[in-house]
Amino acid sequence: MDDAARSIAEAPLPTRRTLRARSSLPFQVLRFVAFNIRMLRMVKKGHH
Amino acid sequence: MARVVILGAGISGHTAALHLKRRLKRAHEVIVVSPNADWNWIPSNIWVGVGRMTTQQVTFPLRPIYRRKGIDFRQARAAAIRPEGDGDSDSGSVDIAYTDPVRLGEEERLTYDFLINATGPKLNFAATPGLGPDGNSLSVCTAKHAEQTAAAFDKVVEALQRGERQTLVVGVGHGACTCEGAAFEYTFNVENELRARGVRELADVVYLTNEYDLGDFGVGGMSFAQNGFVTSSKMWTESLFRERNVRAILQAHVERVDPGVIHYEQLDGTKGSLEFDFAMLLPPFRGADLKAYDRQGGDITADLFAPNGFLKVDADYAAKPFEDWKAEDWPRTYQCPLYRNVFGVGIAFAPPHPISRPRSSPDGTVISPAPPRTGMPSGVMGRVVAHSIADRIERGETAPLQTASMASMGAACIASAGAGMRTGSAAAMTMYPIVPDTARFPVSGRSLKETTGEIGLGAHWTKLLLHYLFIYKAKGRPGWFLIPE
Repeated sequence: MDDAARSIAEAPLPTRRTLRARSSLPFQVLRFVAFNIRMLRMVKKGHH
Repeated sequence: MARVVILGAGISGHTAALHLKRRLKRAHEVIVVSPNADWNWIPSNIWVGVGRMTTQQVTFPLRPIYRRKGIDFRQARAAAIRPEGDGDSDSGSVDIAYTDPVRLGEEERLTYDFLINATGPKLNFAATPGLGPDGNSLSVCTAKHAEQTAAAFDKVVEALQRGERQTLVVGVGHGACTCEGAAFEYTFNVENELRARGVRELADVVYLTNEYDLGDFGVGGMSFAQNGFVTSSKMWTESLFRERNVRAILQAHVERVDPGVIHYEQLDGTKGSLEFDFAMLLPPFRGADLKAYDRQGGDITADLFAPNGFLKVDADYAAKPFEDWKAEDWPRTYQCPLYRNVFGVGIAFAPPHPISRPRSSPDGTVISPAPPRTGMPSGVMGRVVAHSIADRIERGETAPLQTASMASMGAACIASAGAGMRTGSAAAMTMYPIVPDTARFPVSGRSLKETTGEIGLGAHWTKLLLHYLFIYKAKGRPGWFLIPE
């Protein structure tokens, strides 16, 4: 096993709960809103 | 009446043209020179490459938009810049050769008062023997390439359906490539599509990259504050590779692509080869093949352009070790220091140095990513240069130039990891600033508050939203200028 394969094999694996959250419609609607607000904040902050 | 000539109609050139015309109205002339008749939202090409979108969904013809806006469009390739003019005129000029089928073969010399070089990259497939659609690998750099790649992908899926094992390699085709983010996206879209078509089990998906670590993305990786810890994009990316069972070959320079076999060298000097059934490898970029001449016709290309063909602007190009790189090295106005009415934006400007730490193999082969200049900063550069030029036309030469350094600009990168309104996924990253500034942010060079990463369906919706928003904006529809770059 090379270094890359070893590193990947030791990476944290998402739990079932995390995977569910990543595809949960209500939770992802909230994340969608949050991420877009964050993007707009960055536009305001950095794009002058 | 002033004349502004823009070379290139990609994200930065097209953005500059729309903003300039909005500011200058009919009082001044804006000419766009581009060899392509269509505009392409390149970030969505990865979806064309797996058959989830068509070419028509990611492109549209430029001519009707420019006609509506009063922008003069020349479908032509720029061949040479004459910033001092020629024997007949003191005005700077550009030599163009028409690619427009109606005027094919015609050449013309266009004078300008201001010039914006937004020619984007030359896809340098020739840097690696056998690389590219004319060789032995595939690409998603243009919509046409992506369409060919989708057809090849369908054949691989058919082979898998017949029960034949297949190896699919996605990555970069040279040690000095950029756009690792796009390769990453395409990898996980391929993986997602294989699962969606029920043929994942017999497929070996391999990501082949010049990055030192996964999650580098050509920006030296990122640090995130999550759950009370500072974690790295490396761990976060490796986690996705583990979850999706994708193999990775890191620190690789592709030396040659033979039919069905990739030959590569790694940073420690070892050589390897990898057999494949399907290989999408991005090419390295270099500047467009533009020459520059002085008033007497002497060749001044090396004065205006860096050796990689990108236009030198107001950056600090002095060679210095990685430890001495500073945020201030990066350009702020994108003005050419030799000719003050010439600007370079988007991929066409020469970065002062990479962002990731430079590395080379014992044989001296450079194996580290070149700095990415993604859509968001490219659009911002196009806008600020358009406003700088409009200010100078309206208020005179003393009007201050507007600024937008990549060291004070943030970026959002949405790396798709699979399409589908209910089943899609993407890695959504924000970083501030793009170029690390350790003087302001000692821990990682970037703000831990503004540099974030998360994976989920919502990020896929954001990527899809940006697809429709930016095509709307690029079409110059009502209120287009309210959509930020």
